[in-house]
Amino acid sequence: MKEKLLQVLSDTCPGVDFETETSLIDDGLLESLDLVTIVAELMDAFDVEITVEDLLPENFNSADAMLAMIQRKLA
Amino acid sequence: MSFTSLPFLGLLAAAVAAYYLLPKRGRWAALLCASYVFYCAGGALTVVYLLLTTATTYGAGLLLTRLNATDDGDKQRRKRRRKAVVFCALFFNFAMLFALKYLNDTLALLGGGSLSSRLPELVLPLGVSFYVFQSAGYVVDCYRGMEAQRNPAKYALFVSFFPQLVQGPIGRYRALAPQLLDGNDFSADHLKYGIQLMLWGYLKKMVVAERAGVLVNTVFAGYTYFGGAIDALGVLFYCIQLYCDFSGGIDIARGAAQLFGVELAENFRRPIFATSLADYWRRWHITLGQWMRDYVFYPLSLSKPFARLGRWSRRAIGGKAGKILPTSLATFVIYFIIGIWHGMNFRYIFFGCFNGAIITVSLLLEARYHAARERLGIRTESRAWRAFQMARTSLIVFVGRYITRAPRLMAAFWMLAHLFVYPQFAQLTDGTVLSLGLSAVDLWIVALGQAGILAVEAYQERGGRVRAALETKPWPVQWLAMLLPLGILLFLGILRGSYIPAGFIYQQF
Repeated sequence: MKEKLLQVLSDTCPGVDFETETSLIDDGLLESLDLVTIVAELMDAFDVEITVEDLLPENFNSADAMLAMIQRKLA
Repeated sequence: MSFTSLPFLGLLAAAVAAYYLLPKRGRWAALLCASYVFYCAGGALTVVYLLLTTATTYGAGLLLTRLNATDDGDKQRRKRRRKAVVFCALFFNFAMLFALKYLNDTLALLGGGSLSSRLPELVLPLGVSFYVFQSAGYVVDCYRGMEAQRNPAKYALFVSFFPQLVQGPIGRYRALAPQLLDGNDFSADHLKYGIQLMLWGYLKKMVVAERAGVLVNTVFAGYTYFGGAIDALGVLFYCIQLYCDFSGGIDIARGAAQLFGVELAENFRRPIFATSLADYWRRWHITLGQWMRDYVFYPLSLSKPFARLGRWSRRAIGGKAGKILPTSLATFVIYFIIGIWHGMNFRYIFFGCFNGAIITVSLLLEARYHAARERLGIRTESRAWRAFQMARTSLIVFVGRYITRAPRLMAAFWMLAHLFVYPQFAQLTDGTVLSLGLSAVDLWIVALGQAGILAVEAYQERGGRVRAALETKPWPVQWLAMLLPLGILLFLGILRGSYIPAGFIYQQF
């Protein structure tokens, strides 16, 4: 699942190091536009519903945080 | 009660004294009293609107917290009730804002001029859009799970904290409430930093902005009389006036809050150094942009119609453009709303569309720009490229300011056309400039003042921190850094011969 996630992320925002970065939102590497584009792609790729309430830095600061959020949604 | 008036300084001094004399747990009460004295001094009757907003959003917050905590097993029903509470609170407050601020203009815009003239002229309450936006954000945060404030007086302080009441910054409850309510310890540093920041704001406002405003008013009152070059000079001075007026007012607000140990949100981050129009709007009136992002852009982008549009565009258009079409459209909507937030007339509607269209098209064509830059071998990290980006952004902003300051939209187009068909460059050197209400000395003061502000901001843009750097200097230098701006303010601001204090431009929004 992580490989698929990293593929979706790098396709959506090429140039961002999703494998190692852990402060994607806090350091401003992802902006609001990137964030909603990523959310749309994740909903499509993993068939989960991500709502406005989920748009918190702690859910999007790293690929691992996004993975954990998706797994929570799928559980 | 204007920030530039003596009664304001008197109220501020009394509030600071009362705040630190009271025991810590009661200090918030001094701020609440001072806030309502400040507001009532601006028109006692308009306090009714402030109280209505406070009461309705306070009640909505409590109801939402209760519904969030209820577990009756029927999630859908609970969600519907929570949505109904948010809808009612927001509808009431935005309807009130619309009636106070936009109704007459909307009727005039739609051709109902005669009806508009028969409606009673309502006094626009001070800072109404700022406190309505701040309270609306609180209600949505409660809907999203934040615990509501149970004490109505403490909540009233969050809505009405006087330094930020008139023109922002628009605060968030989670960041602001603990600072306002917990009671901060006295700190000489807070006082020193607060006074320094206020002095900086007063310099921007009273020495630069108010001077620049004299020339701006003259040029725009007689724009048909002057050539396009003088009109452009008027617009340039308007850019200076607007920045120094708004950011100066925010510096005064943030400095005044620091006297109580309260750190208000940053509202400007050196917009002159923006490298794109989107970057400019991330640096200008930051708290409004963040409010729009969190409470309009995100919900809109993730709404069902936009999700459907996204699925369609990825399938039908494909590629990067297909992916970002819905978010680009949502971006356009946001800039359109920001445009009409300033006022319901063709100028601001066009201004919103102007910004939205440029940013949306830039997003859609971004991949092509990248490819073109690579083909041309442009080094994006070079200083020359950065300077080009800044100049390009400044030019777009400059054109936008024609739209917002001209008396009518057609007048803005007329002035822009005039710049090319009838520039009359000779008027810049034949003495016409000295007939625009400012003496040569005043013109130099505006130019040097703006240059000084730019120099400080260039230092900050490179990561420098002015007040922290001053701390490392010997005490005579630190005192000089306080007394010099005060002296300039006294001699070039307050005590100049024809000084007429002008209100802050963003107060009207």
